[in-house]
Amino acid sequence: MAKPQQKDARRNVRTALACASLVAGMVGLAYASVPLYKLFCQVTGLGGTPGIEAAAPEQATDIDFTVRFDANINPTLPWTFKPVQRAVNLKLGEEGLAFYTATNNSDHPITGTATFNVTPLKIGQYFVKIDCFCFTEQTLQPGETVDMPVTFYVDPEIRQDRSTEEVTTITLSYTFYPKKSETDGQVSALKQKSTPVDIGG
Amino acid sequence: MANAADAHAHDDHGDHYPGFFFRWFCSTNHKDIGTVYMFVSMFAALVGGGMSWFMRLELAEPGLQYLTGGAPDMQFYNVLLTAHGFLMVFFVVMPALIGGFGNWFVPLMIGAPDMAFPRMNNISLWLLIAGLALLLISAFVGSGVGTGWTVYPPLSSSIYHPGAAVDFGILSLHLAGASSILGAINFIVTIFNMRAPGMTLHKMPLFVWSILVTAFLLLLALPVLAGALTMLLTDRNFGTAFFDPAAGGDPVLWQHLFWFFGHPEVYIIILPAFGLISQIVSTFSKKPVFGYLGMAYAMVAIGVVGFVVWAHHMYTVGLDVDTRAYFTAATLVIAVPTGVKIFSWLATMWGGSIEFKTPMLYAFGFIFLFVMGGVTGVTLANSSADLVFHDTYFVVAHFHYVMAIAAIFAMFAGWYYWIGKMSGKQYNETLGKIQFWMFFVGVNILFFPQHFAGLAGMPRRIPDYPDAYAGWNYVSSVGALITAVGTMLFFWILYRTYAAGTKAEQNPWGEGATTLEWHVPSPAPFHTFEDQPDMSGKQPAE
Repeated sequence: MAKPQQKDARRNVRTALACASLVAGMVGLAYASVPLYKLFCQVTGLGGTPGIEAAAPEQATDIDFTVRFDANINPTLPWTFKPVQRAVNLKLGEEGLAFYTATNNSDHPITGTATFNVTPLKIGQYFVKIDCFCFTEQTLQPGETVDMPVTFYVDPEIRQDRSTEEVTTITLSYTFYPKKSETDGQVSALKQKSTPVDIGG
Repeated sequence: MANAADAHAHDDHGDHYPGFFFRWFCSTNHKDIGTVYMFVSMFAALVGGGMSWFMRLELAEPGLQYLTGGAPDMQFYNVLLTAHGFLMVFFVVMPALIGGFGNWFVPLMIGAPDMAFPRMNNISLWLLIAGLALLLISAFVGSGVGTGWTVYPPLSSSIYHPGAAVDFGILSLHLAGASSILGAINFIVTIFNMRAPGMTLHKMPLFVWSILVTAFLLLLALPVLAGALTMLLTDRNFGTAFFDPAAGGDPVLWQHLFWFFGHPEVYIIILPAFGLISQIVSTFSKKPVFGYLGMAYAMVAIGVVGFVVWAHHMYTVGLDVDTRAYFTAATLVIAVPTGVKIFSWLATMWGGSIEFKTPMLYAFGFIFLFVMGGVTGVTLANSSADLVFHDTYFVVAHFHYVMAIAAIFAMFAGWYYWIGKMSGKQYNETLGKIQFWMFFVGVNILFFPQHFAGLAGMPRRIPDYPDAYAGWNYVSSVGALITAVGTMLFFWILYRTYAAGTKAEQNPWGEGATTLEWHVPSPAPFHTFEDQPDMSGKQPAE
């Protein structure tokens, strides 16, 4: 009896290890989903992720379009960040230029990065950026103010897509946040400062 | 079956039970572990049920009556509904159906002496109990976990839940998840490698099939939850930004990960119930299950398709029309294998010599409730309709019908069906039937009116509501009271069964009960099937 039992035990361990590797694979997949999700959004424009191209199309159309600008800031970043203009009017396919202005209100240089998206979320793939301050990190000296440009165009294809043809206004939104290594101290300081939100009442 | 009879006649001599502490706290015996799982589940059901009855008490009338401890404490309501969800999903239904009945009857039904890894089985049990303890502790840390069972950031981030409560909750789910993963591995190994000779996969009882499919769902779904929870934990404590949009993350990613786990989770809950109901319907109709292979592969199909429909929980996050069209269509496809199961149960009963014992009543109740919830599920699967129903009581009514009370009905059905085998004592049939009718009437009065409240626009997760919703909410709370009395009656029956039940026969259900557990004495001896029965040439067990 001893021999077959040992063989059974080995077979059981083999099956269990196969199951365990399945579990490990799924954990890996969960983490892999973070970059994959980002990539998926960039490719499909899901969640209002704009596309990126080198230049606007040769021929602009004569259809009017409005792009509005919105600015947000992570509470741990001591900057002022605003769009210079609230909106620009342009033609579909025409290259547009807009400026944001940022001021470092602290007494030390700070590096920040901006995330961005557009609303309505469904037109992400038709809003194309040519160049943007958000493509790189921005370092501001104490008290420094800079104007930051973004160039973009709206793809005329937006009129060919039944689910987006009624859109005439797009809002481009940025959120500036500090580069991770610079915030470690500040984040924990903020956490200690924040008291439990009084949700009752 | 002479073989099996010989086997346990031999066992009876070798039956020496360890002392109380070693038997129940260090157990490696699948039956004892199953019993402990059942009692853990009953304890958690009383805690989670108590919370829901308190919520129904508060919701019985408009305005705030009972949440007032000086100032109205809305967060306390959030904590209650969150803990109610966690408890019922992870610590009531899963331990009872998978840990309890699964441990007890999978080895018995396939003629195996025990689970493949008895010590790992013990670890599973105690990880679950540790998880339960952490969850209960979390309610007393800071302002508690008021995130809902879906734990969506940013509500669950450190901005809105700054204390350690959510971290306790996360670790609790980690432990419960580890417990389930180890348990699932144990089931898969046992079912694949330890079946009696001659019992091919296509001859296994459907309950074993259901546990096998469930175990695979657990292996594929729970690691994703564990990964997402770990990301949330590091977001909260170590400055990562997986879900923080102000630092490049995306809270919608959490919803994708959570529901990639969360949707299979509802099948993890209901598949063992499907298996159990198949056994019971067959037993009390005195007929083999209609379309055995169809039934088995319908469960496999539900499991597979269940992994590609998750975003139907997220129709309102801004998915584009084409994506929503896909998820609507994929979700509706699940109605096909589910329909196969429902119609096969009806076909099993058709022309059968049906005996309305309590387990069969509960099986009927299960089918009725599941069809009810399935119909509203088809409604909600349509993204256009769901944009209106989202986060209303219509959704609450829907998921309580399918995965809450239907699962509870399956648990009761299983308990009445198998308690003779587990305890050696038979329950009182009259009391059992009274308990069924109380529970059946109670839960329907409780949950059916919530459809109306939801259609009228009553939002979920809010302790107060405009006067317009008062009528149906009052009816619903009356239903909760009836259900509560029915629950108390169940515990009385449980007590009477153990204290003064009549001796259970080896097979109390007659010719319809053909699976192997009815070929060992009642109560099932400490050791069974040390010599495996030879099943070659025999019919499918069910």
